[in-house]
Amino acid sequence: MLDSRTKDELVKRLETIVGSENVSVQETDMVLNAHDASPLSEAKIRAGESLPLADAVVFPNSTEEVAKILKCANELKIPVIPVGGGAGTCGGTLPIHGGLQVDLKRMNKIFTIDDKSLTVHVQAGVVGIDLEEELNRHGYISGHTPTSLRASNAGGFIATRSGGSKSSLYGKIEDLTLGLQVVLPDGSIIDLKAVPRHAVGPDLKQLFIGSEGTLGIITEATFRIFRTPESQSFRSMCFPDVSRGLAAIREIFQSGVTPSVVRLYDPEDTAMAVSTHFDVAEGDCMLMLAFDGSTDQVILDEKKAADICLNLGAKDYGEGPSMRWWEHRYDMYYPTKFTTSGFSIGDTIDIVATYDKLENVYYAMKDAMEVHDAVVMSHFSHMYPNGGSIYMIFFFAGPDAETTWATYKKIWDDGVAACLREGGTMSHQHGVGLTRTTYNEGEWGPAFEVIRKIKQLLDPNGIMNPGKMGLGVRE
Amino acid sequence: MDQEAIANQVRMCAACPKMCRHVCPTFFAWRSESPTPHGRALLLHQENSGTRELDDRGIEVLYQCLECSHCLTWCQPEIDIAEIVEHKRRLIVQDGRYPSGLDSLKQNILEHHNPFGEDHVKRTEWFKTSEKTGEELVYFVGCTASYREVKIAQQTQKLLGSLGYSLTVSEDEWCCGSPLFRTGFTEDALKQAEYNVEMLNAQSGDTIVVTCPGCYRVLRNDYPEYGLELKKPVRHISELLEEKLNDLPKTAIDGTVTYHDPCHLGRHMGVYDAPRQVLEKIADGQFIEMERNRDNAMCCGNGAGMRTLFGEKAQVIGSERVKQALDVNAKYLVTSCPFCKNMLASQGNGKIEVFDLPEFVIHVSELSD
Repeated sequence: MLDSRTKDELVKRLETIVGSENVSVQETDMVLNAHDASPLSEAKIRAGESLPLADAVVFPNSTEEVAKILKCANELKIPVIPVGGGAGTCGGTLPIHGGLQVDLKRMNKIFTIDDKSLTVHVQAGVVGIDLEEELNRHGYISGHTPTSLRASNAGGFIATRSGGSKSSLYGKIEDLTLGLQVVLPDGSIIDLKAVPRHAVGPDLKQLFIGSEGTLGIITEATFRIFRTPESQSFRSMCFPDVSRGLAAIREIFQSGVTPSVVRLYDPEDTAMAVSTHFDVAEGDCMLMLAFDGSTDQVILDEKKAADICLNLGAKDYGEGPSMRWWEHRYDMYYPTKFTTSGFSIGDTIDIVATYDKLENVYYAMKDAMEVHDAVVMSHFSHMYPNGGSIYMIFFFAGPDAETTWATYKKIWDDGVAACLREGGTMSHQHGVGLTRTTYNEGEWGPAFEVIRKIKQLLDPNGIMNPGKMGLGVRE
Repeated sequence: MDQEAIANQVRMCAACPKMCRHVCPTFFAWRSESPTPHGRALLLHQENSGTRELDDRGIEVLYQCLECSHCLTWCQPEIDIAEIVEHKRRLIVQDGRYPSGLDSLKQNILEHHNPFGEDHVKRTEWFKTSEKTGEELVYFVGCTASYREVKIAQQTQKLLGSLGYSLTVSEDEWCCGSPLFRTGFTEDALKQAEYNVEMLNAQSGDTIVVTCPGCYRVLRNDYPEYGLELKKPVRHISELLEEKLNDLPKTAIDGTVTYHDPCHLGRHMGVYDAPRQVLEKIADGQFIEMERNRDNAMCCGNGAGMRTLFGEKAQVIGSERVKQALDVNAKYLVTSCPFCKNMLASQGNGKIEVFDLPEFVIHVSELSD
């Protein structure tokens, strides 16, 4: 917490920058900004626990205001926590050391949709679904539709290096971001020009994509967009085990077919998510596929993928399970009586690995997590020709908060350790935030020193989102 | 809803990953986590669980809610934050901790029987007594049409007269109590309600007709909930007009018309089709929906004390709703609520013509003459 003199000075200067109506030090506003969508913060709220609060929250309306705010915070050496939609799943916006939350929700302009270049230029605070709907009105899609779409925003997409549900075809946010504007911790503004690619040294954009507010604040971006596909089709195939399902996915991609959606559910996840609506034999694994594009291409791609699956012994379930998933893709994100009862908690460790390691990582993590009496169910999604991601989903319910939080941490510790031991990487698209912050140095190894030096160079006072990404961790 | 049910619902809502926030009009207006469904729920959950008491800012947040129930449309667990907020407002009022900005609203209704502080004797100045022929209806006019949107009342009389009805309008009509019910002043609302029930039951007409959905909801739902029985059915004007489709004018109007669903009529009372039937008939193929319609319609920004307490933010919301009508290139924006009409017309800025349903029917009939 800030001392009262520093806080008074901060508020006085912030009010000069954005007006008093756009600064709050009211405890209620701090409480309501103190959590994101990370399962532990949500579970603690349900359990009646208090979360760490910021000292103030400020709502800028322009890049220039953000620059002035950061200059002020840097001079006062105050922790700054950028907040986008507050929809992250890793606690990245939690003000664990107090300080100033810079909430970008007022910066929600969609500047231009460029029909010639197929790009859109936005402010960081535009909410995903608002952007998507505006693009749809013009005959386009963003290609980036994470489950959090209704709450997450453009800046958050970039800051967490996120991926959408159709990312196999359209790409992840790092593929979609052509231009970027960032305010550095000292208040200077840098514009990284929107171009399809370049060869003028390293791509500096990529330094900030995934930086989670530790290196500056993303204020504007230019994204690729796509014409709304002429056609979309769905296909579902059931395999007797994970191994054959993965073989099919690998062959589909490596044969040159790129589905928009690829999701292979393990037996437990199939039982939970599919068997409740479709007749699936116990132990089977459902593969859900979707294809976007011209009608002719979609027909060809679906046939080729289906043939690969059938040749590997799959049972054809037609479009049903896959289409149902698509139509209900946001449903799983809602709280239910089951997921919120007592001291229950569920979370996902979204890892990634190449195909040679993927299955080993899956079994190693599953074993490690189940040791703690967690119910573990998983699906493989966001796939590539060379590997892919696993959503290692777990649920645990302890008799009290203390037991549950401690067990939750053990599941994470052992799950991540197993992932790293088998050669995987501990996050594919959710980010590091607070949940993974203590594992980050282990993930990166000696290369983490490079990140540390960059942080020291750009943020010598360590004001930017301290404690996240393994940077500025304070005991 | 009992306290345990409320506690379970706010506990679940408080820690939701914000699945409805994108449609919350007050989130739109403030662009902050505070005036949001999950924000309200979190404050109530913390109070229920003993984590933190509701402070003055918390109370303000609970009054930064339109009770429009748009969040409910997007809530899979079907948590109606509007109902929960209203329940809490009653307790806040009982404790005397409500925002002082509501004092004038309450006093005006108690003293003058309308929220505007207008002289009660002027309530029916617009009414032209006519010979009673045809089925007699008791027209419960409501405060906005009586004082602020008088043309709606006048056109309603004209329209219903042309359809063969005769209207009774009582000089003894008081505010229905909706602004008081919605802001937590139940005891004061019931004084209005009891008086109105006695007055309405003494009228000779067989049916009560209303043009205001706020009145409609209160007369149909709130009065019976408190054991106050009206001995006549209550119909909204759109429902009456739907039954008279063949008698309504029809003409090729000079542009498209779209419809704004009032929250009290749509989400709270389930009346979506009747006004559309009327518009589709009279606009003769020129009716067009806004992107957000029916149970996904955006609130006009006026409800549940918002205009009284946070007028500028109410206008931000109203202005956005007008923009949504302009986005579909509508020339006419029609609603079926004097209060909504008043807000939307104030934000039209000459870009769109805003009508209440009876006004628009008369407008079309004049075009077709």
